[in-house]
Amino acid sequence: MAGPEDKAIRVRDVMTRQVYTVSPTDTAQSVARLMKETGVGALPVEVPGVGTILGIVTDRDILTSVVAQGLSTSTAVFEFMTVAAESCEEGDSILLAAQKMHDLRIRQLVVVDEKRHAAGIIALADIIRVSPELGGLVLDGMSRQGSENEHHEGITSCPA
Amino acid sequence: MPGLTQDRLWSEAVILEAPNRVLRVQSTRDAYLCLKNHWPLPDGEGSARREALAACDRVIDGEDEPDAARAAFMKAAEEAQFSVHSWTSNDGG
Repeated sequence: MAGPEDKAIRVRDVMTRQVYTVSPTDTAQSVARLMKETGVGALPVEVPGVGTILGIVTDRDILTSVVAQGLSTSTAVFEFMTVAAESCEEGDSILLAAQKMHDLRIRQLVVVDEKRHAAGIIALADIIRVSPELGGLVLDGMSRQGSENEHHEGITSCPA
Repeated sequence: MPGLTQDRLWSEAVILEAPNRVLRVQSTRDAYLCLKNHWPLPDGEGSARREALAACDRVIDGEDEPDAARAAFMKAAEEAQFSVHSWTSNDGG
């Protein structure tokens, strides 16, 4: 179980403050180039010049929504990003962040400030680093949900 | 190396074509990454490429306008024998 100390550790204590953001009009190939250079697999999408976070784009999005669909690599980010990605705030507990990751089956959350500008990014790996038990619970939950979904997808209905 | 947390968008995209490759570039940070990591010339070769990298550096640092990086990038692309397409280039499509 997650311990009471997990409520005391705040997102700001473990998040990465260096955030690479992309614009909605950037292309899949330019995002891939930035991911290669920085080693980051999830990038917040912000309104250029304003800074408001609109969503997030991941390396998996590029694979599943662009490459696998046969779309051009010049497809714009706004066509395959996750809009209004779930976010958290610096003052949230890592327990709350972990709960969101578990419920949404995602491994990163954008950390936003009061203006909804990116203040950082928190990954499941950051949580595992300070609370292996809590991180393990999230991972277990994700894999259990995954196997349940696979099971349901295999069910076919029989006519009465 | 410029801080890659910043980017400065261009007014028009530049499309570079080579056999089996098409690069679409529309921002200074992306141009920098293309020149650094995805360029056909060996590392360090090409005077226009070096000038374009320096121009991208200046633009990302806010010392010059994005179109300066774009113009330098197009010269570097010609040096690398890409076919360059842009609404504002003379040889473009």
